[in-house]
Formats: sequence, C-alpha cells, structure tokens
Amino acid sequence: MAHANLKLPMRARTPIPACAGVGLRSQHHRDSLISPAKAGWLEVHSENYFGRGGAPLRNLEDIRADYPISLHGVGMSLGSVDELDRNHLRQLKALITCIEPGLVSEHLCWSSFGGSYLNDLLPLPYTGATLTFLVTRIDEVQGFLGRQILLENPSSYLEYQYSTYSESEFLDELSRRSGCGILLDINNVYVSCTNHGWNALDYIRNIAVDQVKEIHLAGHTVNTIAGRNILIDTHNGPVSESVWLLYQSALQRLGSVPTLIEWDADLPSWQVLVDEAVKADAYLEKCYEQAA
Amino acid sequence: MNRLHETQRDFSRYVLQNSDQIPAGIKANGIAVEQRLNIYRNNTRLGLTEVLREVYPVVNKLVGDAFFNRLAQAYINLHPSKSACLLTFGGRFSEVIAGYKDAQGLAYLPDTARLEWYVHEAYHAADDSLLDVPALAQLDAESYQRLGFKVHLTGRFIASDYPIGRIWIDNQCDARQESLIDLTKGGCCLLIFRPELEVGIVSLNYADYQCLTALASGLTLIRAVECVIATHPDFDIQPPLKQWLQMGLLTDFFIL
Repeated sequence: MAHANLKLPMRARTPIPACAGVGLRSQHHRDSLISPAKAGWLEVHSENYFGRGGAPLRNLEDIRADYPISLHGVGMSLGSVDELDRNHLRQLKALITCIEPGLVSEHLCWSSFGGSYLNDLLPLPYTGATLTFLVTRIDEVQGFLGRQILLENPSSYLEYQYSTYSESEFLDELSRRSGCGILLDINNVYVSCTNHGWNALDYIRNIAVDQVKEIHLAGHTVNTIAGRNILIDTHNGPVSESVWLLYQSALQRLGSVPTLIEWDADLPSWQVLVDEAVKADAYLEKCYEQAA
Repeated sequence: MNRLHETQRDFSRYVLQNSDQIPAGIKANGIAVEQRLNIYRNNTRLGLTEVLREVYPVVNKLVGDAFFNRLAQAYINLHPSKSACLLTFGGRFSEVIAGYKDAQGLAYLPDTARLEWYVHEAYHAADDSLLDVPALAQLDAESYQRLGFKVHLTGRFIASDYPIGRIWIDNQCDARQESLIDLTKGGCCLLIFRPELEVGIVSLNYADYQCLTALASGLTLIRAVECVIATHPDFDIQPPLKQWLQMGLLTDFFIL
C-alpha cells in the first residue's frame, strides 16, 4: 500500500474499476488511508467539499493519491422547475478540475422550489413534458461540466397519477436522449418496487445494459404505515439479503459494473464497510468468470 | 410544465411550511396520500435537524435532544435552506434561539450558538498565506504611520457577557468531568482561528480584542492602537503584535 504521507503522482481521471468501492464519510478518512483493509475505489458526496479550504479538501486530495475517486452529488436539483443553480455548477466544476474523478453522478429527482431547498431526493412525475425538460437540463449540465454525468434512480414513497412512463422506461429513455449514463441503485430499485408493487426484474430488464456505468448497494429500513410495510432508504445498516439477491440477478444481465457500498448513518467501522465490499466483489468475480 | 410547477410548489409548501394543502395528482395506492407526504416531511425535517445538530453539538448537549429538535423545527420554518450545499445552512441559529420564547431563561445560549457557527465557518474557510516578514522588516519608519494588517481569512471574533469559551470547552465530547460554571463570573472575548487544519479558540483580553477587531475592520495599526488607548491608557502593542505575527494570525500588510 502507498504510504499515507507520501504524495504519489496524481492519477489523472483514474477510471473507476469494475470492482467494489465504498462511500467515504469523513469519520473514515484516516482508516481508509492507513488500514490494511482497502476498498477498490471511493465515492464522496460532492457538496461536502464545496467549502473553501481546510481539512475536508486536504483529506480528499490525500485519498485521491491512493484511490480512484467518484463524485456523487445530492443537490443539483435537476428536476426542479427552478433555474439551475449556476453557482452550484461552478463549484462542482472546480471540484472536478481539482480531483479529476473517474465518475460524476447525480439523481433523478428534484430538491428545491422557489429558491428554498428541501435537501432531499423528491420524486418526479414521469411524463413526456418532464422527459423533454430533463433532457435540456442534463444537456446544459453536461455541456457546462464538459463530461458525462450518471443519473441515479431514487427510492420513492409515492407515485403520481399523471405519470405516463414507468420509472425504468423513463430513466432508460432519458439516458438515450440526453447521453447521460445510469447509476443503478439496486437498493432503490428494491425499495421502490416493494413500495409501489412494481416488478424489480422487469425494472432492470427495461434499462439498456450499456448505459449502466455504476451500481449502488445500501441498507434500508422497514416501516409500517396503515398496516402496510413501507421501505425507507435509510443507508444505516448492511445490505439486505433480498437486495443481494436482486444484485446477483442484475449482474447476470449487466455484467461486471463498478459497485458501491453506501452506509451513511449509524456508521460502522471501516472494516465492516470493506467486508461488505468484499462480499460484492465475490459476486462480481463470479459474474466475470461466468462471462469468460 | 405548469403541472410540474404546481406539484413542486405544493409539495415544498407541505414539507417546509407544514401546509395542509395536499398536492394534486398523487396516488394513494393503499396508504393515504397525506401519510405518503408525511414520510417526505419527516425525512426532510429530520435530515435538516441532523445537519444543525452536527454544527451545534454544544447547544444540543446543553438543552438535550428533544428541546434541540424543537429549536431546529423553528429554524427550518423561519430560515429554510437556500443552498444545495448544507455547509452554509444554519448560520442564523443564534438569532432564532434568542427569539425563541422557551429559551429565554438560557441567556448564554445564543452566544454559545454563535461561537459554534464561527468554529464551523473557520473549519471550512479558505486557506490563507503567511505574512512576508522580510518585506515587513524593510519598511521605512514613515510607512509605519500608514501600516495596516490583514487578519487570517479563518479569523472570527466574539465578545460575550457569558463565559462561553469555558462552556464550549466543558461540553466537548472528550471533556473531562463536567464542572459547574458560574454564569455571573463575567464574560469573555474570543478569537476563533484555524492556522492549519484544526480550529482553535483563543481567549483575548479586552484591549487585544479591541485592537484586533479594529485591525480586522481595516484600520491602520496606529488608528487601532489609538482606539484601544482611549480606554486602556497603558496598552502596549509590542507584545501582542509579536504574538499575533508568530501565530500566523496576520497574513499580510498594506500601506494605506
């Protein structure tokens, strides 16, 4: 392993390898560098590094010397009827220039209205009008950043009566028309399909294989509302068995795709996160062998 | 797009302003639409509350989780987030606490919150340069008359009627046994400053505080010292100036 204090030559735009990575939270920064347990790559939330200086940026530069990095945004509010926040885009572009990530991703959602932010991933109606609107927005963003972004399917707890596309058809069509890639969150597929009674395998079948550039896996929580189970995307525990099963089915269709373990609340030790990544790696290897 | 606009307008009002009006066009599918929306209302509000709790751990420790949650709800209602980047969310918490009826008995709380915000700001503020000491040493005596200094970009100042520095230290997670703090024992003047990566809180005497805040506001050294001498005739600038230069608090100089 590389010594933490030795600055290696930066690996410009190191591609994200088709193995398992871990979503890095600041509490694990040190362990990610000094622990013998390593993830294949790391992903961070872009907005956490929009500060002007200090430890966060310094730490990100350190880990960038040891790991391929992916930048994952949670606040661009692509689906909002508000204008795109130019300042946000400028900050993201500056971070991309500095970190040279292998992948840059965002969400299929909206999160602001009238200049106020809910800082949450809110569901969109899947209509022709929304599709046209999002194609323009993504085009604007990709043009400004000078690169492709990936769009992640959200977990959702409600649907709109006036949607005319299924979510997977919408995402697939959006990706074809805008040229964005897809970040397929298998936990979100499972959560939304369970909540709305969609078929998870159909969902995955609707997505064009070559558009999927990254997979997310995370834990969820089961809540009971009005006598019915609703799954909430809490990222506060290990990946559930059902999601591991769905992941294996997805890999059979998609082949080996870079896969990220997300765990954001009630953080476990770094070792536990790496162990989850090792588990994903075993499925990825099996998939690779089957293909060979 | 009108329909998307209406949906987002009513949805955000429901979540952020606790409006009762249900956005049109949402499927019930076995669960009341209101209950579905409440999941988002709870998630959003809990998420923002946790962001505040991370920035204000001392306030949280002083008032407890339940009271803090109520303060956070009041904050979200009055000052919803204006940015996707949450590093800038929560800057007016001190104001909201000061105006919160049930917190009136906790007079030290607004200043404590302000101190925590300054620590948070200093942690993320831009890095700054080191002062060019040889260039400063070469200045002629005449230039001294018009000499001013730039204070480090992370530098923040606060003066309080309460011992908030002591309150802050005693309520850190790694603080030793809590001790009783006598709130009548007087206030304090503090400098919050991040020389490298760690934010430090430095206790200042009132004369030094006056001088530094005068310098930070752009006054020349001579003018700043004159301000201090008006209330502290014995003030000697040499020792503190040397100390500020040594600790890297003054990052540049200018001749006005």
